[in-house]
Amino acid sequence: MLDFAIYSITIIAVWSVLALSLNIQFGMTGLVNFGQILPFALGSYAAGISASLGYPWWIGALAGLIAAPLIALLVIMPAQRLAQDYWALITLGAAEIFRLTVLNAPALTGGADGLVVPRFIDPTLAMSVALAVLAVTFLLAQRISSSPYGRMLRVLREDEILASTLGRSPIRYQASVSVIAWMMAAAAGVTYAHITGYVAPSSFTVTETFIIWTAVILGGPGRNIGVIFGAAIIQLLGVSSRFVAQWIDLPPDLIANLRLASFGLVLVLMFLYRPQGLIPEAKQVHDAERN
Amino acid sequence: MIQVLVNSIVYASEIAIIAVGVSLCYSILRFANFAHIQFAVVGGYLTYSFATIPGLALPLPLAMLASAVVTGLMAILIDILVFSRLRNTSAEGKMIVSWGVALFIRSIVAAIYGGSARVFDVPSSTIVVGDAVFTTLDVAIACATLVLMVALHLFLYRTRVGSGLRALASNQELAVTRGIPGDRLIRLMWFLSGSLAAIGGSLIAIQTRLQPSMDLVILLPIFAAVTIGGLNNVFGAVIGAVILSLAQNFLIWIDFGSLFFGDPWHIPTKFRDYVAVLALVLVLLLRSRSSAAAAKR
Repeated sequence: MLDFAIYSITIIAVWSVLALSLNIQFGMTGLVNFGQILPFALGSYAAGISASLGYPWWIGALAGLIAAPLIALLVIMPAQRLAQDYWALITLGAAEIFRLTVLNAPALTGGADGLVVPRFIDPTLAMSVALAVLAVTFLLAQRISSSPYGRMLRVLREDEILASTLGRSPIRYQASVSVIAWMMAAAAGVTYAHITGYVAPSSFTVTETFIIWTAVILGGPGRNIGVIFGAAIIQLLGVSSRFVAQWIDLPPDLIANLRLASFGLVLVLMFLYRPQGLIPEAKQVHDAERN
Repeated sequence: MIQVLVNSIVYASEIAIIAVGVSLCYSILRFANFAHIQFAVVGGYLTYSFATIPGLALPLPLAMLASAVVTGLMAILIDILVFSRLRNTSAEGKMIVSWGVALFIRSIVAAIYGGSARVFDVPSSTIVVGDAVFTTLDVAIACATLVLMVALHLFLYRTRVGSGLRALASNQELAVTRGIPGDRLIRLMWFLSGSLAAIGGSLIAIQTRLQPSMDLVILLPIFAAVTIGGLNNVFGAVIGAVILSLAQNFLIWIDFGSLFFGDPWHIPTKFRDYVAVLALVLVLLLRSRSSAAAAKR
């Protein structure tokens, strides 16, 4: 039972980092990233490839944290000055391309079989590391949220033209926030690889991206604590459904599909009935006179 | 050479018939509907069921027709339940919801039919023209698409209802104030795009195989085709599909090795999807240039 609690907390922490990362992109800035799994995959594969080449763990972590922002800038370049529909398509395409590349380059990535990564032997240590990464990410996200930079991101979300008339370049803000967010997700990826001890392309499909989206929409886009709450609910639903499957003896395949169907349903129902999420973003009022 | 052309035409037909639905929806409701891909998958599975369930076992064309009708009605139902209540939500919001719908449909299909592949047993004979080899099935697919696209064109440009749809696409408020029944036509649009997707999905399934994961295989080519054609232009999507298909098939056919290094070397077939994404990025780069240039003017 204790093992299960430790495992759940570890998994929730990792997915919370991903949700926070998407939250500062979408919730705060309004960027529709449909390839959120890509920086996560980059981090995981950086850890996996460096481990398979015999390097220590920190080389992989460093590689992931360097690769993610570079790829972020590369992906954003064609999307600048374009409407959000195209952002969505470009990020989606980039994530799929990465997955296909991994599948088609077995010499480096192990292809469909994936790579073995050294695992944390002690589950408590794994949990502590995951929680530490989450704490750093959360503090950073909170700091961004309350800073003038974060306020400008929100202006950008509400009205890009207004931001431009204030003399701010939208693309600079979009690029910088993406770089930060992608590094967060890459850190989550590195941690995840060392927790599961295994990386394979099937863990990084479009479906995983939408599990992160469901968490953000459920929790409350724009509110850091909200999206962590959302990620916790979604992941608890995920792990507990595995228990139910064992208990009432249904095929695991069926349970997995029903779980995903319920995530899709949650996403749709939230948009229909509570688009602000379970813990909505607090309205920020700034009175210049009173300060 | 002829072989590459034939392959391109068949592939373009399958993609085009699904892609027109995406742009039809975008032109009227102004959002990219990612659930559209699932209409194709559902259509494929329904055709399979109608054609194979004992006691029903419709002949394939009839099964496809029935599947198209049912999928079209399903698209209307989804609009009534979900999208019609979100008419005032932002385009991003609708796009995100459409993924929720897609995730739901995909998982339900996978839960009902399971993950294993199914193959249609369609008798077809090979035709040889010059050095090109293709099947009667390929011919049927290309002809079916051609007939449907011509019919869609005639419908949109030669009938009153079609003009109504085009009016909605060009200026919704004006069209509605001029007495065009907006809601009814939007339902019709959903029916059309759902049933076209069902036929396209069935054609792909008949030619290759049926699997819940086929949505990931067709997702990128379809959205690339729609983007090349310019999202809200219905027949642009058809042209986009043809361009994309030609690019994919010719890049694989060209012997780059002999051209540059002397030894024969081809781009491996598995890199076809890269062409879709590259085309998408290229079009977007060009478009952002041109919109930047337009902004400067």
